[in-house]
Amino acid sequence: MNDPYKILNIAPTATDDEVKHAYRQLARKYHPDNYHDNPLADLAQEKMKEINEAYEQILRQRKNGASHSAPREGGYASSSAYESGSSYESYGASGGSVTQQIRLAINRGDISRAEQLLGAVSEHDAEWNFLMGVVCARRGWLDEAKRYLENACRMDPSNGEYRGALEQFTGADRYRPAGYRSFGTMTYGGDNCLQYCATMALCNLCCPGAVCIPC
Amino acid sequence: MFGYVRPAAPRLSPEENSRFRAAYCGLCHTLGRRYGAAARFLLNYDFTFLAILLSLGAPFSCERRRCAVHPCAGCEVMQAGAALDAAADYSVILTWWQLRDHIADHGFFGGLKYRLAALLLRGAYRRSCRRVPEFDEAARRCLRELARRESERCASLDAAAEPFAALLAELAMVERDPVKRRILRLIFYHLGRWIYLVDAADDFRRDAKSGNYNPLRFRYGVEGDELPDEAKRALGETLDASIRQMASAYALLDAGAWTAVLDSIFYESFYAIGKAVLDGVYHKPSRAERKKKKEGGMA
Repeated sequence: MNDPYKILNIAPTATDDEVKHAYRQLARKYHPDNYHDNPLADLAQEKMKEINEAYEQILRQRKNGASHSAPREGGYASSSAYESGSSYESYGASGGSVTQQIRLAINRGDISRAEQLLGAVSEHDAEWNFLMGVVCARRGWLDEAKRYLENACRMDPSNGEYRGALEQFTGADRYRPAGYRSFGTMTYGGDNCLQYCATMALCNLCCPGAVCIPC
Repeated sequence: MFGYVRPAAPRLSPEENSRFRAAYCGLCHTLGRRYGAAARFLLNYDFTFLAILLSLGAPFSCERRRCAVHPCAGCEVMQAGAALDAAADYSVILTWWQLRDHIADHGFFGGLKYRLAALLLRGAYRRSCRRVPEFDEAARRCLRELARRESERCASLDAAAEPFAALLAELAMVERDPVKRRILRLIFYHLGRWIYLVDAADDFRRDAKSGNYNPLRFRYGVEGDELPDEAKRALGETLDASIRQMASAYALLDAGAWTAVLDSIFYESFYAIGKAVLDGVYHKPSRAERKKKKEGGMA
């Protein structure tokens, strides 16, 4: 088995708190929420599993002696709390046979099949729009995806599944490494100084002799 | 169309900035070595970004080399390898087809400078075709498809961006490891989508004047030659969605020595550059402006 410390990217001498911190950081990075509309969700899930196993292994090792710092306080036992909760499984819910087939195709990752089935449906109800949105997101057609999800929510505002998908889709609350604030294209900046420096520094890439004017 | 993606330099230490420069210079040298001095003019930031992504996993080392731009001191240059070679081959083909596209878009006199550039590039293009014929085929297909959608006045941003995005996704084929190839495919697809849409926003006014097709006009039903705020906001959101997909995919890669540089690109630069373009303050500084700024910086 791989070295659990290597997986969490820490030294074997790390304190319990450091281990916990490293685990939490990585768990946030590979959290299913970050991969909700992403065709690489399965890879993230594998990573998550690897991290959970590494963390549990370290906890076990430390419990059986050889602890590096004060004994671990309780309360963070549910190390695999992030493991479940991936959403695409829940597509197998309600609906007639065609939509069920479409949901199954999406779960299998067979997007062409899902698209083909969707194309044959004549009634474009809320669920159809929702499934089109999911299929478009998987294809990378993100503008269309949003439009379909919005349609679905408009047609059936009380449906939690549709609303949830749209919120996930537009949610800006994704993982960022330490030091990076959460912003979008239109909300970027405000800090003019930084923007100015950025432009200057980009120019400096070409002419390394130049210095950024302190602002 | 190319040249948008650069690291957010203020975030990076001088060491990290020079690492990016080393890749930039490395690609320049590789272009020169493989395709002759004229091909060095193809060099831009996007191709450098591409070279870095393709080089992940390979050991990184530098050597000091001189060139026409830095004849005395020379500079640290990333050592040649498969990634730089591939990036150089792809750069030539992408630039070639971009030139053909420009020539088709402009009249005889307007297209003269592109014709001249294509003439200079012809030899390099033929050589690169021999090296990566499948990519040349893909580029040809993509541009045919792009032209078709443009002539249909396609009103879907995704459909309009698809051919170019799919073409960049083809770049991942050079990666041997299937998992990494999947990840790179997704990154390159959305990189292509992002570049296409940012470029459309950047060209919006020019296209409005010349009457050329611009997907944003049809998607948002704009009449004038200025994108309204509402459309900008919507476009910003869809750009964000692509950036988020890229960042999630990138998180699955082991960036090694490139972590700081690539973090700054995926978590900041894309947003910053998109914002600058939408605000109309993005433009590549001309030589004269750069000089002026440089003097100002020295003072």
